[in-house]
Amino acid sequence: MNLGRLSATAVFAATALALTACSASTPSPTSAPSVDREARAVVANFRAPVSNWALESDDAYVLSIAGCLETLVKYDSTTQNIEPMLAESWKQSSDTAWDFTLRQNVKFQDGTALDAKAAAASLNHVLKATAPARAVNPKTISKVSAVDADTLRVTTPAADPLLPYRMASVNAGILAPAAYGADGIDPFGHCTGPFIPVSEKAGQSLSLDRNVNYWGGDVQLAGGEIRYITEGPTRATQVQTGEADISMSIPATSLATLEADNSVKVLKADSPRTATLYLNNSRAPFDNLKLRQAATMALDLPAIAASVYEGAAQPATGPFAPSESWANPDLQVPQVNLEEAKKLVADSGYQQDKPLEIIAITERAEFAAVGAIIQEQFKQIGLQANVVTKSYGSVEPEVLAGNYDMILSQRNRMIDIADPIGFLQSDYTCDGGYNLSHYCNKDFDALIEKALPKTDQATRHDLYRQAGDVLAADAANVWLVNEQAIDALGSTVQGYVQDPLTRYVLTKDLAKTK
Amino acid sequence: MHFATALRRVLGLGAAVLLSSFAVFLVPFVSPGDPVRSMLRARMDVGAMDEATVQAYAEQFGLYDPLLLQFGRWLGRFFRGDMGISYISGTPVADLVLPAIGVTLSLAGTALLVAVLVSIMLGVVAAVRAEGWPDRVITSATHALIAIPEYALAPLLVLLFAVRLSWLPSAGFDSPASMVLPVLVLSLRPISFFTIAVRSGILQALDSEHVLAARARGLGATRTLVRHVIPHGLLPLWTMVGVWFAGLLGGSVIVEVIFAIPGMGRLIFDAIVDADIPVAQGGVVVAVACAVLATGIIDLLHRRSDPRVRIGASRG
Repeated sequence: MNLGRLSATAVFAATALALTACSASTPSPTSAPSVDREARAVVANFRAPVSNWALESDDAYVLSIAGCLETLVKYDSTTQNIEPMLAESWKQSSDTAWDFTLRQNVKFQDGTALDAKAAAASLNHVLKATAPARAVNPKTISKVSAVDADTLRVTTPAADPLLPYRMASVNAGILAPAAYGADGIDPFGHCTGPFIPVSEKAGQSLSLDRNVNYWGGDVQLAGGEIRYITEGPTRATQVQTGEADISMSIPATSLATLEADNSVKVLKADSPRTATLYLNNSRAPFDNLKLRQAATMALDLPAIAASVYEGAAQPATGPFAPSESWANPDLQVPQVNLEEAKKLVADSGYQQDKPLEIIAITERAEFAAVGAIIQEQFKQIGLQANVVTKSYGSVEPEVLAGNYDMILSQRNRMIDIADPIGFLQSDYTCDGGYNLSHYCNKDFDALIEKALPKTDQATRHDLYRQAGDVLAADAANVWLVNEQAIDALGSTVQGYVQDPLTRYVLTKDLAKTK
Repeated sequence: MHFATALRRVLGLGAAVLLSSFAVFLVPFVSPGDPVRSMLRARMDVGAMDEATVQAYAEQFGLYDPLLLQFGRWLGRFFRGDMGISYISGTPVADLVLPAIGVTLSLAGTALLVAVLVSIMLGVVAAVRAEGWPDRVITSATHALIAIPEYALAPLLVLLFAVRLSWLPSAGFDSPASMVLPVLVLSLRPISFFTIAVRSGILQALDSEHVLAARARGLGATRTLVRHVIPHGLLPLWTMVGVWFAGLLGGSVIVEVIFAIPGMGRLIFDAIVDADIPVAQGGVVVAVACAVLATGIIDLLHRRSDPRVRIGASRG
């Protein structure tokens, strides 16, 4: 071989290598992973159905995340608005009546048509439950009837501008008439959603197939499986091993491990839960505003969030999470000011003769550690406190009766509807049925009364904001940390939209890549 | 077995079932808090609970009736073969308990089978090589394993075999592979106890007169071991197996929770926490009945295989 041929060969080889390298490093549009139409997604869910699929119970959440159960309207947590679902439009036809116009050509999975009569029967079944749902019950809805084949009328006992929010609750899900039998509710083949339940392993999982006739269009996944895994670390492990594609509600203790795993994507969003140190406003010593303010100033909320919650919670600025549209954006995380706190304790005139008691409920394991930190930080301003751990059920009667000093607990602000009015009413008005802190301020009550009939969302949210400011000014409680809703996804999952209210997971757009 | 012995056992079973079901029945009522609210809380995560709802729910199931009347109602149904309806799901208790006992029986049975086989092997080797290095290794390992609790062992095994090696599923109960880790966790502690018992039994048998006589008759070491030493050396093991089996029927809660297994321990535990009294009672009754039955069968086998027990029983 002469030098000329050798160099020509070398140049050709080098060019070929360079081209190969270029083609390898610059993926062409066609090399993007394509959707696997035969794929099935496995979801590790933190809930297990325990009520024989009764829609008034939390079992409705399982059917909803499974992509089986649908409601007239849905709450979009991204836009914070009510969107059409089985109803394409709705309007308030009188002060106490709302008319929902059903979407045309929707069929239940058993082939029967969805009409107003079927929808009314479904909702009336929930209304008749002995233990009715939070959002849909005879106190909030007096009657559901079919006006014509396509129009459903929901009548309320009083004017209720939030009725569409109630209809977005999973408890207001619609099933075919054949679902309601003598032995309870049978969701198999009786939903309208993108997935049809095909089998259940008792206490373990629900399997679903794609609904090829889904009214909402093409369903990407061939099917799915909802696994009932109530143990948080086990759910985290399932997504890490690839056994689950989506694991919901990851515990703080597993967060760091999953975030360090390149094969797992971790999603976080503000949940509607704020861990709170409830102060008993109805008796000494926390009936004294100065002492409540001192308690707020003594606690290092960022430290609690970082140490106990390991990044799975953000220090709270007030009674609402900052991302909620009714939260006051100007509120800041309270700063530790021990000197001022000590002065407030002195000014309050409180003479401690025995240690105060902090109840840490056992249902939330982290509260024992939070309680210990609070105990230490209170010491620095001269307040002695003991931490006792008790189950919530065992202390609830005493707490509701006002026989306690402090309790660590947390509440879901949007447990009934995607609006905090129910929470503000029950937890903070003078007559509130769940007013753990026994807080009472007529100005606060007036704001809630004013907000109740408001149909305009912006006006209502502004009133909530003002109400929140009153609570913060009164230091009604110490709002410690806003808990984060944490979901983890496998690397092949596409189209997942995290829902902090845990209503929607298996959707028609959820997909897996090959 | 004599008729009197059999009758004693049946009466004992009845008494055990009645006592345990009454004890379980009382738990929600003697615990602080309202059992009706606990039931409702299990159905829906609710804070403010409407008093009218609580009353209506209680009336539906007669939960504010006198306790003895409630227990009597349950007892009447039970004797008609009806374990009642779950207060939470509204489904027949039998529909919840029977699948769960099936899961637990297979789990506990497999775990004990593994434990028995492994412990016989280890115990015999340790006894035959007493004071030698195999004995020291086996004895040290078994003593160490006793100290490891299931809640620590289970996550370790999951981390190794499911996360790192990807050999086995981390949870569930739907395939033979999914049984491996829970069976391993449940069997390790019995392996330790059983091995110690087998070693001790074999050592005693090796020193017994009939073994010395067999050797004197010129029987080979292996045949002596198989025909005379092992059968007698294992006698203490069978009693332990019965006790462990009874314990595992309702007591494998931790393993069932960690591995998301819908077994009996978890069912009973959840039912007690949620005040679902009929399910807790039904679960305990079935677990106790299975346990008494299992220990009875083992006792019977024990009597058949050990003349001393047989003779003692007939004299007594």
